[in-house]
Formats: sequence, C-alpha cells, structure tokens
Amino acid sequence: MSQAANDSGFSEAQERALACVLDEIIPPSEDGRFPGAGELGLVSYVRKQALDLVPMIAQGLTSLDELALARGAADFATLPRSERRGVLEELAAREAGFLPLLLFHTFSGYYQQPPVLEALGLEARPPFPEGHEIEPNDHSLLDPVRARGPVYRF
Amino acid sequence: MVDEVVDVLIVGAGAAGAAMAWSLSDTRMKIVCLEQGGWMNPAEYPSTQSDWELRQFGDFGLSPNGRGRPEDYPINDSGSPIAISNFNAVGGSTILYAAHFPRFHPADFKVRTLDGVADDWPIDYARLEPYYEQNAQMMGVAGLAGDPAYPHKELPLPPVSLGKLGHTLAGGFNKLGWHWWPSDSAIATVPHNGRAQCINLGPCLTGCAQGAKGSTDVTYWPAAVRQGVELRTHCRVREITVDEKDMADGVIYYDADGVERRQSAEIVIVCCNGVGTPRLLLNSRSRAFPDGIANRSGLVGRNLMFHPYAMVQGVFDERLEGFKGPMGCCIVSQEFYETDPARGFLRGYSYEITRGIGPVGTALSGMSSGEIPWGAGHHEAYEARFDRSAGMVAICEDLPEPHNRVTLDPELVDSNAIPAPRIEYRLSENSRKMLEHCMARGQEVLQAAGAHSTTAQGPLPFAGWHLMGTARMGTDPAASVVNEWGRAHDVRNLFIVDGSIFVTAAAVNPTNTIQALALYVADSIKERLANLFD
Repeated sequence: MSQAANDSGFSEAQERALACVLDEIIPPSEDGRFPGAGELGLVSYVRKQALDLVPMIAQGLTSLDELALARGAADFATLPRSERRGVLEELAAREAGFLPLLLFHTFSGYYQQPPVLEALGLEARPPFPEGHEIEPNDHSLLDPVRARGPVYRF
Repeated sequence: MVDEVVDVLIVGAGAAGAAMAWSLSDTRMKIVCLEQGGWMNPAEYPSTQSDWELRQFGDFGLSPNGRGRPEDYPINDSGSPIAISNFNAVGGSTILYAAHFPRFHPADFKVRTLDGVADDWPIDYARLEPYYEQNAQMMGVAGLAGDPAYPHKELPLPPVSLGKLGHTLAGGFNKLGWHWWPSDSAIATVPHNGRAQCINLGPCLTGCAQGAKGSTDVTYWPAAVRQGVELRTHCRVREITVDEKDMADGVIYYDADGVERRQSAEIVIVCCNGVGTPRLLLNSRSRAFPDGIANRSGLVGRNLMFHPYAMVQGVFDERLEGFKGPMGCCIVSQEFYETDPARGFLRGYSYEITRGIGPVGTALSGMSSGEIPWGAGHHEAYEARFDRSAGMVAICEDLPEPHNRVTLDPELVDSNAIPAPRIEYRLSENSRKMLEHCMARGQEVLQAAGAHSTTAQGPLPFAGWHLMGTARMGTDPAASVVNEWGRAHDVRNLFIVDGSIFVTAAAVNPTNTIQALALYVADSIKERLANLFD
C-alpha cells in the first residue's frame, strides 16, 4: 500500500477496504432492518480491540488489494461485490489469522451496537442497573412432581 | 510490622474462610485472615458496561492462566481434560459462581454402604443439617419447600423466577414424568440482610453488580469484620511453619508490596480450595514433614474430584427471554441422581437448566459451531437462534481415585516464586458412561419441551469449577488427612476446611456443603476450646 497510515494505523484506503470487508462479513439484511457491519462504523471498534494486530490486518488488506488487482480491479474496495467473498476466501487459505481475527471482532462488536440491539427487539443498554422483568412463576406445574412422592434414598 | 501471635489464622477469604471467620468471631479470639486477592468493586462488574458479554473472555475469565490478574497464581492443568476454574479475591470463587446452592442428599454421605464404591463420610446428613439451615440464613438462600428429591427443608427466601424459558422446559420434564424443581439459589429474591433483591440482570458468572448474589464479600465478610476479624488483602501465603513439637506456629507470606512477612498463630485454618490447599500443604516442608505438612498419609493432593459436566442445548421456534434471570439458577432435575445399576454406571447426576445467552454470546457460539455463517444468510441464521436456545448442564458425580491428584510443578512458579500446582487427572470409565447417558437423556427432554434441534457436548473442557477430595476427611490417619471435625491427623492445631476435605463429590454444586462444613468445624472447635490440642 503506497498511502501512509494515519493515526488509526490504517491509511484511508485501508479503512475503506476494511469497511468493505466488514460488510462482507455481516452484510445489510435484505429487509433493511439490520445495517452492514462496515456501514455501521465498526472499523474503529475493530482497530481498538485488535490494537496490537493492526499491522497484521493492514498486511491482510494489502494482500486483498493485490488479489483484486489480479482480477482487474483497482483495489478490493472497487471489486464487484459478487467477487469479494471469493477473494476473502482465497486470502484466508493463504494467511490463516486474518479472517478469523476479523470474524471474532466483527461478530462481537456488531451485536453490541444500539441499532442492532434495537432491531433485535432489545433495549440498547447494559443489564445493570435496570435489570429485567420476568413473568411470575406457575408452581402448579409442579403438581405431577409432588404427586410422585419422595425420589431419594435414606 | 511486629509479629503478634494471633489466636486464629485463616488462609483464604472465600466460601469456607468467610463462614469460618464469622462463626469463630463470637469467641472474641484474635482472628486474622490472609487473602491473596483484594475487595471487588461491584460498580466495575461487567454487567454495568455494554461489553458485558466479552469480559468473560478477559479479566473475568474462568481460568487463572488467562485472566491476567496479579493476584492469580498459575496452574499447570495441561495434564487434565478439564481445566481449573477459580477466582482470587475476598469472596474467592463465589464472586464468579452461579450461586446454585443445593445440599448434599442423605445418601451422598454413605456411598460405600449403599453402592459399594468410594468411602462413606465420617459424618452424615443429620450432622450437617443445622449448619445448612444456618448457612441458608447467612447466604440468603431462595427456594421452594417440598422438593421430593430431599428430606423436608425450609428456605428463607422465595424461589428465583423461572421465566418463559423455565416454564417451557418444565413442560418437557412433565411430559416425560421426570423430577424437576426450582433451584435452591443463594440469591436474594427479596431484600435480605441489607442486600438488594435480584433484578434478573443475567450475567451472575461475572459478578453481581446488584449485590443480590450471595458471594461472601457481601454475606459473611461484612458481619465478620464488624465482629472484629482482621482481613488482610493482597497477602499470599508461601508456607505453614511448625515448631519443635510439630505444631503449626504460623505462616510466611508476601504482603501487597511483595515483602516477606511472618504471622504467628495458635491455630491455623487452611481454606484455599481443592487445589490451593494441597499446594500450600505440599509447599510447607520441614524436618518433621519432608513431604509437606499434614501429609504422613501421603494423601495430600490425591483423590482430586471434579464434577464432569455435559452441556445439552436445544433450539426452539419461539423466543424464550432466556437472557433474563440468573444465568445458572432456574430449575433442577434429579431424575437420574440415585444409582440404578441397569444404566451401566454407579451414582448419578443432576440437570441444571441454564438461561439463554445474550446477543454477542449467540453470535460467537454460532460462529464457532458453524451454525451462524458470515456473509449471505447471516441474519437469517442469527435470528433463528438468538433467544431461541435453551438447555442445561449435567453435573456428574466423580469418584475418588488416588491417581487423580495435585502436585507441585517442578518449574512453574507464581509472581512470588512459589511453586505452582500441577494437575494430573483422567476421566474414569464410570464418568464416561454417565456423560453418555446424560447427554442422550438431556436431548430427549429438550425435544419433549419443543426443541426442533439439539446438540450435546461432554466433558466440558473449561468446567473445573468444583475442586474436591485432596485432603480427605476420615477417622483413619492412614487413609485420610483430617479427622471427622476437620483437624489434621498429623498436626493438632491445623485445620482444613474447603472442598479438599470432601470424601465424595455427590452430584450437586459443593459451596453449600463447604460452608456447612465450615460452620460445623467452627462449632467443633468452639466446643473443644479447653482441650482442643489433646
């Protein structure tokens, strides 16, 4: 990659490429309820979580551009979407750590985001301090258990 | 620091050490407890943050080897299919436990007599029963009277909420005519002894920010400290020392600054769990005890028992609200608890229904199992599983075998250069057969409850939660480490009180019995104070 890295450790082109990769990992849903991971802005989350591994990710993104170039595109970001998964799988076969690392952080980061939680029907908040309401117990379900009598040995 | 001789020195501030300290505090003796961890701050527990699900893989992880906390010591468990889980803090492993709080059954104390395996305990259910009751008040135990798997017992607090998930699975047990009951849980379902009531946060296994879960930093310790017990944190004990009469006379420890200190005592009580206790005893070598203190039997560290766990999961069509409510406490089934030789194994197991997992947990577990792909089809697969998974763990009774043991690692040391423990453990054929049985039956009951697909896994490699048997109790000094009231056979002022002294493991979570034993041993000490060392 010829462009210099910015404060994030990635060049602007690499950030664009990473956003495309994240959208391949979790794309927008067809019904429009769930955004893609890239458009949700998870690039900064992934960078923060994998701070020590930014050089490895950057190297992987460079390799993706090279593979895209071989397919006639200027870089991964301009590669037709129909070809991106194939390129990612080709890289995964060559560089074992790149894709699993991004899968872990994308999956874990995506499902912490308020728009995603709300689309799942959840409140976008940590469990404490509000907690959760639960329906009252129906102990009449225990009637057949009681009717059997003791089931232990003395 | 002047080395003042104290009356009682307790090592370890977890489940047992806390109960012991509180019970002995009414004697007005000078009691000091040394704990290698510190006080936890509930405001910093993961459930207060949006990344609450991820921290179970980090600073609130189960294994001390990966947690990165300075108070932890490493454990070489590469020789075991089940890794050790623990926590080092005021409260010990109760900080992370599920607070599932069953008692042992009467039959659990006499397995040799009833089933011809292992050994009987030198005490019985009736002996511990009043201490179970006392412990229920102190820990705040919720439950429902009338469980036909037990003699009658009353519990001080109403049971935990079953929720939609619990009701759904209860229906499956009823269809098959199997036993089930709301779990006994050390969870304040209503305000209790100054503790706020449970608000169904969910992630109990990374600490309870609400303070409703009965970890001993919020139950016994505040009461013990009020009554004059001195609790010194960030103090790691290296060894117990002995005098010329082969009596324990104190310990050598490292304080928070890493400075070597000595604390002398008339009575030493070790409460460091089934791995930490044998480690300390084996590290305490002297002329009188070249193989470790209290180890003339050669049994210190031997007969290590876990509870081999299986996990059985099912996927349902409807959402179950499973992320609401105490993670590990819902309902329990003891349909297969007692021995039935026709099953091909001796002893039995409990099922514990667990709650569902949260959004991140669903994504990561689906990714690792391959059920939730990346790319096309991701959202459909995710929504088919999120909040639609329910299941259980099966907790199998392990049997004591001398080759399963804790020794000292020849190379591995902690940050104070103290030799670390090493685990050697093989799963028995009896346990393998039991695991096969519980995984098959567990899938049956989930299908009966409406699951359209099921999976099972066992033994769980990360589930070395319960550490037992490594300084066993008995009346014969050649066949046990402590006597029937917790005193070391070889050292008349040294007591051991934790899972180490278990003779057998039963098929239930051990904390309630560990604490009942602590209260019983404390009472035994108090009753004998005039001639304790005879």
